Amino acid sequence: MDMAIHFKELDNKLYGFVEGEIDTYTASRLREELEAVNITEGLEIVLNLSKINYMDSTGLGVFVAFYKRTLRENGKVKLVGLSNRLQRLFEITGLSDLMDIETDKKVESRK
Amino acid sequence: MEQLESQYQKILSDYMTDQTEKNLYIAQNFTRQLIQKNISPEDVVSVHKNAVEKLFPRRMSEEQLAYDFLIEVMVHYGMAHREHQSLLQKQAEYEMEMKIATNIQKTLLKTDVPQLSSIDIGMISIPIRKMNGDYVHFLYNREDFLSVAVTDVVGKGVPAALCMSMVKYGLETLDYAYKDPSYVLEVINRVIEKSVDDSMFVSMFYACLDMRKSILSYASAGHEPALHYSAKHNEFFPLESTGLLLGVLPETKYLYNEIVLEENDIVVMMTDGVTEFRAHDEMNSREVISSLIMENKYLSAQQLCNLLYKQIEEIQDFKLSDDFTVVIIKK
Amino acid sequence: MTIKSSVEIITEWDIVEARQLGRDEAKALGFDTVDQARITTAISELARNIYLYARIGVIEIERVETDADTEKKIIVIATDQGPGIEDVRKVMEDGYSTSGGLGAGLPGVNRLMDNMVIQSVMGKGTTIRAEKWLR
Repeated sequence: MDMAIHFKELDNKLYGFVEGEIDTYTASRLREELEAVNITEGLEIVLNLSKINYMDSTGLGVFVAFYKRTLRENGKVKLVGLSNRLQRLFEITGLSDLMDIETDKKVESRK
Repeated sequence: MEQLESQYQKILSDYMTDQTEKNLYIAQNFTRQLIQKNISPEDVVSVHKNAVEKLFPRRMSEEQLAYDFLIEVMVHYGMAHREHQSLLQKQAEYEMEMKIATNIQKTLLKTDVPQLSSIDIGMISIPIRKMNGDYVHFLYNREDFLSVAVTDVVGKGVPAALCMSMVKYGLETLDYAYKDPSYVLEVINRVIEKSVDDSMFVSMFYACLDMRKSILSYASAGHEPALHYSAKHNEFFPLESTGLLLGVLPETKYLYNEIVLEENDIVVMMTDGVTEFRAHDEMNSREVISSLIMENKYLSAQQLCNLLYKQIEEIQDFKLSDDFTVVIIKK
Repeated sequence: MTIKSSVEIITEWDIVEARQLGRDEAKALGFDTVDQARITTAISELARNIYLYARIGVIEIERVETDADTEKKIIVIATDQGPGIEDVRKVMEDGYSTSGGLGAGLPGVNRLMDNMVIQSVMGKGTTIRAEKWLR
């Protein structure tokens, strides 16, 4: 069970790539990594979740906390590359109406 | 200490003359005594050194320094050893506290399944850890109304349990409004949003059955949709109703839907611990659940709950990864 | 009668110097081998704490001998002008030393000696005083 996240800055946007499994054990590390992100006014953050092969509700909590902080600090966050499974998780929880989310397919078709 | 020294000297001397297992066994029992009296490693070496000195005074002149050296080394070992001992004791204290907290939670969040004549109700709720992050709340008014709230706190263990107590008391103070799912969710949402940290949420499926009219009204706050088995159509329908998780935004509105429950209909409410098959990505868990119920629809509501748990536990190789809660009502 | 001596801790070798001084004093006072080892290890831990976290400091050793035999004791005082210890109660908890920060190993020192007092002011420095009686 492992999880990793790495960041890349490009054209004033911050891209984060998350991979692995997010559960109770790895979620706290993901939270720390995201809490360490310095959000400046107007910063756009794009988190790519296409390499996540498992995520439970604890992981969801981490993303929502990050979303709320970004909003407070006047930044923007977008989640991209969601698998059908993740997409459904965000739909059931009502979060897809709240957060900016792109599924895997939309990303694919743009290439 | 002097008494221990002379005992040790005797045991060592016996062994030096006669290397039997019996003498070693006596040594082992003596060690037990040393541990019990909390004698540090460096003291044990010192006891040994003194014994050797008395038993073989001639040999000692050479070995004296080596023993002193070992004492130095053991002082540091002893330091680490004692810290370890003290941490073990602390751990035992924590476990004790945890046990008490678990018992309090069990009493506090105990759910009694109502026994009603017009409707058959079953429930099962199995925590993955010591404390349950799922909670079921029933409210009913004679044979007129029955309302059920199935809740799941994001996160597990102690923080989840603390949050759950808050939900329970919120629901209890709302008993005047139990017929209105939207209102219940909106109030609980405000309570949680105000008092809990940013990454803590609760999902809730709330349903209220008007037993005279046989109308079930329901709303969901980020919760796994319930399943409705319609006997007339011999088919399952999801009770879809999307609403945001509780505790994310302060002013969230929740819509409710209504269905008519007919004779032999079944409603299955559950938490994501039931539908999440971690090790079996390829399986559609909701189909598995539907067909299990379809095949066994003549069982009582409680028997159905038990069966679901047994079967799903087996599919997951007995390694469930989340709290597991199912509530079934059968008309 | 009190005899005072001290070693400044600047380099790692000064830790050795402090140990030597402590051992000589403990021996002179009549501590047995095991207690000598305990006192020396305690001094070593205190000196190492100075060297690693405060950079510079002093280890003072006082040999206290009164006429009555029961009153013989050794006092070790470690003083530095380092960052200070934020939560003294916390560094005295076991398990803290695993974090490897300032104050690591102090519960151990406390057990090796008969008593220990820590005074610390953030940004100003720390003084630790530990005693051991001759029995």
